[in-house]
Amino acid sequence: MAEPMRSAPWGWRTLFVALFGLDLLVRLLPLGGGPGGMPGPDIMLCIACAWVLRRPDYVPAALIALVIFAEDLLLMRPPGLWAALVLVGTEFLRSRAAFSRELSFMAEWLMVSVVILGVALVYGVVLLVTMLPQGGIGTALIQSVATIVAYPLVVAGTRFLFGLRKPATGEVDALGRRV
Amino acid sequence: MAKDRNPQDYTRPIRRIVVGGIVVVLLAVFMLWRIDSPRVERIRIAVVDAVVPNMEWVLVPLTRAAGIIDDFQSYARIYEQNQELRRELQQMRAWREAALQLEQKYAKLLDLNNVRVDPQLTHVTGVVLADSGSPFRHSVLLNVGARDGIRDGWATMDGLGLVGRISGVGQTTSRVVLLTDANSRVPVTVQPSGQRAILSGDNTDLPPLDFIEKSDLVRPGDRVVSSGDGGVFPAGLLVGQVVLGPDRRFRVALSADYLRLEFLRVLRSHEAERIADPGALIMPAEAAVQAEATDG
Repeated sequence: MAEPMRSAPWGWRTLFVALFGLDLLVRLLPLGGGPGGMPGPDIMLCIACAWVLRRPDYVPAALIALVIFAEDLLLMRPPGLWAALVLVGTEFLRSRAAFSRELSFMAEWLMVSVVILGVALVYGVVLLVTMLPQGGIGTALIQSVATIVAYPLVVAGTRFLFGLRKPATGEVDALGRRV
Repeated sequence: MAKDRNPQDYTRPIRRIVVGGIVVVLLAVFMLWRIDSPRVERIRIAVVDAVVPNMEWVLVPLTRAAGIIDDFQSYARIYEQNQELRRELQQMRAWREAALQLEQKYAKLLDLNNVRVDPQLTHVTGVVLADSGSPFRHSVLLNVGARDGIRDGWATMDGLGLVGRISGVGQTTSRVVLLTDANSRVPVTVQPSGQRAILSGDNTDLPPLDFIEKSDLVRPGDRVVSSGDGGVFPAGLLVGQVVLGPDRRFRVALSADYLRLEFLRVLRSHEAERIADPGALIMPAEAAVQAEATDG
């Protein structure tokens, strides 16, 4: 009954990095809608939030920090800032992972939306305070909303494509510990 | 209830410290970047230089495939397109005739006036590898770099108009900041009135003109060319046309085709010769001879 993937967090961690590579590839493709186009959702943020709420041990904090920092570097964002904020946001969710097991999906979605908007807001404020040029509040807001809208899709994707779900009550891992 | 639930409770404070440490390190990197951006940017360029060319074998076929799909969609309205092209061709013929005549006339006038034209700008052509991937940054990555003699600050054009400026050169790649990026400022001249202005990108596809001296001399439809002020860009590169934005500001519709940046031309601009000599005293010839005689 236990699939080999489910007991090995390293498999999931590799998958996380592979998804990052895929996301990066799609974003870097020189097909871009040109300036003034609608910004798409931030898929890595969605995946990080969804996984951290389902199986926190599959996405350790260091992995999230590393991946988002690499994304910062490659996507020409100010390096470090977005990574730090996403890490704080996912840590907030991680500390509530056990609590969110009993929540309905709507409540979970609401919680994640608050985190996504909060991260975007703090990011904008820090850019303002350090006097860095911003892309405009409207664009940032549209991106946050797109991310929030994409969240259920990402959750469904991880549920049906990879079979990642919240552990049932009393489920044990390979070593017989309760998860 | 939660007491005996997690057997690894003792690792929790350590974990908290580690995560806090990571956050502090990341923020420190950000502050370092804010204070001493060139050094961190160099690291970034090195990372991009190492990663993106490796992705080329995936990027190229995918881009090609997307291009095929685009082309295929355009088959759907091939008849209309054909008609349109015919009409355009007709107009172009007329224009071509006019251009040829003007060229001859221009050559004659130059000859008559004994004008010495700038030595032709030479260029290096690069292929676009990747775009910035973020809605807030407008830049593309080219597959030519320091190895091909590219330097920071050189102008980049597509076939028609100015596209941007080289900013960040790796060994085999270089980044072009587009005119629409929020960091882009380019001195321009509006023709025919000759007004100087600054074209400042603001993350929209129609960047506004700032600091126009007399804005009532500028009309929508005027040509905008680079002015060469500041010595970064060569003068006279076509940028676009003035349009009046919905916010009543003068903006520029860029001539370069930003939706289809494939091959870009990097202009090798040589540093302008500076004239440092203040100019000597000019005397009549005999006076100079006399002065020498009294000296000697």
